[in-house]
Amino acid sequence: MNSLFAIGIVVLVAATVIGLLMSIAHLITRYTQKPANTQSDSDKDLPYECGLIGTPAQSSRIPSGYYLTAILFVLFDIEIIFLYPWAIAYRDFLSTGDGLGYLTAFIIFLLLFILGLFWEIRVKALNWK
Amino acid sequence: MTPFLFYTLSFLALYGALNTIFRKNPITCAMHLALTMVALAGLFFNIGAYFIAGVQLVVYAGAVMVLFVMVVMLFDNKQTSETKDNKHMAVKVFISVFMLGILSGVIPHSTGFTNKIVAPEVTPTKSLATLLFSDYVLFFEWIGVLLMIVAVGVVLLSRSEDS
Amino acid sequence: MGEDIFSSVINTVKIVIIFLFMVHMVPLLVWVERRASAFMQNRFGPNRVGPFGLTQLLADLVKFIFKEDFASSKTNKFYFYLAPVLAIIPVALAFGSLPLSSPIYIDSFQLFGYSLGPYLFEIRSFPMDVGIIFVFGVSSLAVYSLLLAGWSSGSKFSLLGALRASAQAISYELALSLSLLGVLILFNTFSFDQIIEMQNQSLNFQFFSKEIKINFLPNWGIFYQPLGALLLFVALFAEANRLPFDLPEAEAELVAGYHTEYGGIKIIIFYMGEYGHMLVASSLMVILYFGGYNLYPLLNEEILQSWLLPNFSLTATSLLTSLILFLCFFLKVLFFLWVFIWVRWTLPRFRYDQLMDLGWKTLLPWSLFNAIATAVVIWLVNWGNA
Repeated sequence: MNSLFAIGIVVLVAATVIGLLMSIAHLITRYTQKPANTQSDSDKDLPYECGLIGTPAQSSRIPSGYYLTAILFVLFDIEIIFLYPWAIAYRDFLSTGDGLGYLTAFIIFLLLFILGLFWEIRVKALNWK
Repeated sequence: MTPFLFYTLSFLALYGALNTIFRKNPITCAMHLALTMVALAGLFFNIGAYFIAGVQLVVYAGAVMVLFVMVVMLFDNKQTSETKDNKHMAVKVFISVFMLGILSGVIPHSTGFTNKIVAPEVTPTKSLATLLFSDYVLFFEWIGVLLMIVAVGVVLLSRSEDS
Repeated sequence: MGEDIFSSVINTVKIVIIFLFMVHMVPLLVWVERRASAFMQNRFGPNRVGPFGLTQLLADLVKFIFKEDFASSKTNKFYFYLAPVLAIIPVALAFGSLPLSSPIYIDSFQLFGYSLGPYLFEIRSFPMDVGIIFVFGVSSLAVYSLLLAGWSSGSKFSLLGALRASAQAISYELALSLSLLGVLILFNTFSFDQIIEMQNQSLNFQFFSKEIKINFLPNWGIFYQPLGALLLFVALFAEANRLPFDLPEAEAELVAGYHTEYGGIKIIIFYMGEYGHMLVASSLMVILYFGGYNLYPLLNEEILQSWLLPNFSLTATSLLTSLILFLCFFLKVLFFLWVFIWVRWTLPRFRYDQLMDLGWKTLLPWSLFNAIATAVVIWLVNWGNA
């Protein structure tokens, strides 16, 4: 069977099973629970906060460390994915007799990676506040 | 089998792309763009470019779109309803259709592709690797330098906002 | 489809069975976890509901279905209900691409007057030539369910928990991919079938143009990449949000993080996703480093076939071989699942900055070192035969 078609079937089966479970739960709720007390003026509607009621809504900004982590992840992910074809062809390269050249290309690329990473560690860019 | 898969994946990709443009909620736009990326990965898989499909999944749908969604979530809690400006809609539509026409008209004729499905050799990824690291190894190293420059630049830019 | 109806039907049934197998491992794992944690903490776990408490999870499932399915008015309902589904789909896809046993070969037979030809059914949901990149790719897609769950809950704590969980997941994905790079340099291929085949021989490697062959040990990846295996295992802990990287779900820290506002069956689905991640992680360790479904000197497809073939037909031999090798694989996976559970109830939780430091400043440099060392060592020992 074609791989993509099978992938589609897996996604459909997973979504169906999970959807079935959630639908059953929702239907049971609808027909056995009273609907009146879920509206916006009751306490049930507030977000859960360890028993306290209310908190200043827009008090703090979300720290910018998340943004930096995500961008650095994108960059290093791209670098690593560039190394994947090199890795699987490495042993074939070696048998052609020019292994040192390919190894050097790899080491230089990884040295650039390491340089970037260690600079960031040294500049304390990756420390969490 | 393959035409059915092609049309389904293309429909998903187009649906995702059109929803990215026309919806109001930014998270919806970002998620539909992620759907487009996944559908593109499926299309690459369909023509036999397995490694490129994997790269599309890992880098585009798994890293870049996650970054987009995180940023949209970080900045979303201030504005939840957008104002839709309909002022020069005819001009915008015309320019979009014009660009689409250029892209779909020029690119096929300039690269000379046919609409045959690419027949993969025994290990297409290994031949990609051989080509990349023998003829184009210098560009490979320049990509490393570019990524390092971006990494340093991002850290410096985010520093200058804080302090 | 180019094949006939019989094989399509069998393949579809196989896909459903593999998915249900993954879903049904969850109650078993939760039972093991609750009993094992009780044993380690010197108390009894659930032991009343069934024999040894085995049907406790069934009772829990029924209880959770009957709980109220509540979504507050501040939530974005579409994404609120979508996030649990998105938690299961990447895990199901990743588990479907792993080969669980040797392929079943069915000889030609007659059914209702049709003569159906010989078939070869592989024991996995879909054939995948680039297995490693595919598993890595769909693991990256698992971050979306964390983000959507936290954002759509409408509460600031959930959003913060989601951001922390996703930052942790993406940081450890880098260490994961670099450890996989070591495996790729060693095994030279993306496909899991070929990796299992290459581990199916006795330990042999070149050492400066002498060939060293140790006959009683199989050619497992763990003998070549011990550091890489350890790094991959630690990174897989963090990907599955298991203790000690448990902070996104910790109760004292952010209530329950990104799934605070979820109740009833939806949170069971999130747990299904987490245990599914554990299952995929254990299977990945077994396939990459411990030989997959083979056990070279003892159990192997050829060895089993040479025992069984004089007594059974070709189809029955293949079915029995597949079953025995699947049990072998399953026992190895159970060992790694036990290690996951054992570590959870032994180690204390990491603080968030300790966690991020571990990911970026310890695991990533060591993975780089592992990749470089693997490449250099392979170059050195191949130096003699150019």
